[in-house]
Amino acid sequence: MTGFVSDPVLEVRELSTSFFTDDGEVKAVRDVSFDLAAGETLGIVGESGCGKSVTALSILGLVPRPGRVVAGEILFKGRDLLSIGREELRQIRGRDIAMIFQDPLSSLNPVHRIGFQVEEAMRAHDKVAPSEVRPRALDLLRRVQVPDASRRMRNYPHQFSGGMRQRVMIAMGLSNRPEILIADEPTTALDVTVQAQILQLLRDLNRDLGTSIILITHNLGVVAGLCKRVIVMYAGEIVEEGSTEQIFDSPQHPYTWALLRSLPRVDADRHERLRSIEGLPPDLIAPPQGCKFNPRCPFRLERCFSEDPELEPVGDGHVAACWVTMKRAYAEMGAGSLVDTRPGAASGVRPPIAPETPGLSGADGHGLAPEAQDRD
Amino acid sequence: MATASRPRRKTVTSALPARPPEGTRPEPPGEPLLRAVDVVKHFNVGVGAVCRAVDGVSFEIRAGETVGLVGESGCGKSTLARVLTQLTPPTSGRVIFEGVELTGLRGESLRQQRKHLQMIFQDPFASLDPRMTVGDIIAEPLTNFKVMRGKAKDARVQELLRVVGLNPYFNNRYPHEFSGGQRQRIGIARALALNPKLIVCDEPVSALDVSIQAQIINLLEDLQAEFHLTYLFIAHDLSVVRHISQRVLVMYLGKIVEIAPSDDLYTNQYHPYTKALLSAVPVPDPRVESQRRLVELSGEIPSPLHPPSGCRFHTRCPIAQVPGVCSEDEPPLEEKAVGRFAACHFSARVRTGLD
Repeated sequence: MTGFVSDPVLEVRELSTSFFTDDGEVKAVRDVSFDLAAGETLGIVGESGCGKSVTALSILGLVPRPGRVVAGEILFKGRDLLSIGREELRQIRGRDIAMIFQDPLSSLNPVHRIGFQVEEAMRAHDKVAPSEVRPRALDLLRRVQVPDASRRMRNYPHQFSGGMRQRVMIAMGLSNRPEILIADEPTTALDVTVQAQILQLLRDLNRDLGTSIILITHNLGVVAGLCKRVIVMYAGEIVEEGSTEQIFDSPQHPYTWALLRSLPRVDADRHERLRSIEGLPPDLIAPPQGCKFNPRCPFRLERCFSEDPELEPVGDGHVAACWVTMKRAYAEMGAGSLVDTRPGAASGVRPPIAPETPGLSGADGHGLAPEAQDRD
Repeated sequence: MATASRPRRKTVTSALPARPPEGTRPEPPGEPLLRAVDVVKHFNVGVGAVCRAVDGVSFEIRAGETVGLVGESGCGKSTLARVLTQLTPPTSGRVIFEGVELTGLRGESLRQQRKHLQMIFQDPFASLDPRMTVGDIIAEPLTNFKVMRGKAKDARVQELLRVVGLNPYFNNRYPHEFSGGQRQRIGIARALALNPKLIVCDEPVSALDVSIQAQIINLLEDLQAEFHLTYLFIAHDLSVVRHISQRVLVMYLGKIVEIAPSDDLYTNQYHPYTKALLSAVPVPDPRVESQRRLVELSGEIPSPLHPPSGCRFHTRCPIAQVPGVCSEDEPPLEEKAVGRFAACHFSARVRTGLD
């Protein structure tokens, strides 16, 4: 499925995670499979609630109640992390696979000094010799560019700014020389100037130490700058996977395509109306029949309402789960000219009519022409 | 109610209080709708310490335009918004709205002016009272100003819900029943209730998902066209600001450092801070990203309790002359080219590049 030759360090196989709430089973992650090669940078993108963070938590065995992994395998160097004991998993977590979280303030202990917390991460595992711990903590803080590191080690988290705290989190994550670093929205709470520095730092770490990175984010710009390969998730499933160039140049799933077109770009040379994606992501207790994107898809066919598409190859190392794919949407459905400039058409200002009439145009199953979403 | 050729437009306006006829409305660029003159807002923190959140800011907003306000967190953007809307009085300086000096008004006369100035907040969860129905939330301004009551008010609430793209029969529901994007629409409906002239949008889309963000941005643009609104759009996301604004103000540590038409700003800059900000914005295109040349800023944003001497940016500036003019003289905000204002001693050098 991937175009990589080197052996994967992490293989996720048909992972499914659910949350068992009073309202029913929330199918947060469904049948997710992917590989992570040594030294690779992989981006997982999607909107909130699409399952990207739950996938990461599942890998580390950190899914909070009432959630649990209901099926699948997570192979780290051939060992299934879902079947080993808790103590064994604890040993791997933080030592071989480290994670940095979005909110660095709530991830640091407010009553311990920064230096102590970085050292503690090493003392919890035996990978670093005790005599090495303190110098290495200092070295790490310097490497993540905490200025005046030897003095700042004695500070408490509240004395650090958001960007500095995130650097401390990265230093802790790297302290045991992990093979995999999972970064969950590492720059979302930060200003752009600091974000750019943190991303540069991650890029350097990947290049200099060969650490594999899984970057989880909703920000497609961040992914474009750091990752070589991208997974797009929607409603708990992978809908598209490919190299960064493939995903950004020729997205094949209508969701990826629409997501890219809904973004304002700072380098755009003229003012164009944003093409928003109508509607909301589905309720994962009772997701729609067939393809889960069908209520929001401009190119849906009749079969999209009944049959759930599997990931199929659409290029070299490029897969998408769609009955249409954008190649066909461009060729047959006028995706290139899908421009809706009427006021209100894409903002929902006009009251929408229930769109549930599959296969409006023609009996050949081509389904909705783009005009069909020009509803009034 | 006269019959009109565009029935939807008619139903929306029919429920609104009378507006001036089309012809009399000023078109952008026109006279300033709002003028801020040397606005200062200091907060006393502890004994003798003063937080200089906004420290001498002057600009104007013309009727019908969208002005973007960008800067890093802590630069004073939100404080400035609160001073402009008179939610907090300035320490000194004047805010003039349609020729009326708001800063000189008190009590009822200020309250009456507030009708024309509304705000949309960042957090769609915290800005709606969870114990009020959506209908009551949107009707609250109408009740407060005794604009409407009874059936007319109910009809107006339903119109507003429709205008922002929500089902008009949702008025009896509570905020928790809605998603983030829908709640932001409710906040927008509330801001529109009194037919304001200026809406201050304080990070209105930064809490929303990408696909929902585009819906709200498009909605704001449509509403502006339909109701001739003027926006002050505050955001830290420069891509969004570039998209929606005609002019952009860049703030750093309580001061405006650059003002420019948004198209020009992205082509060339007169202030090194603007250049650094723009160089850091991620672009969803791997080829553009691979050619990124980051203008690195050293250190962190200084504390507004002790702003640096001279130019406030000199501690992080890649081209500052320290010691020298940058750490001694504060550069004024000057017109460097037509419509381009910047506060930098070396703006000509910035414009041609920082190398």
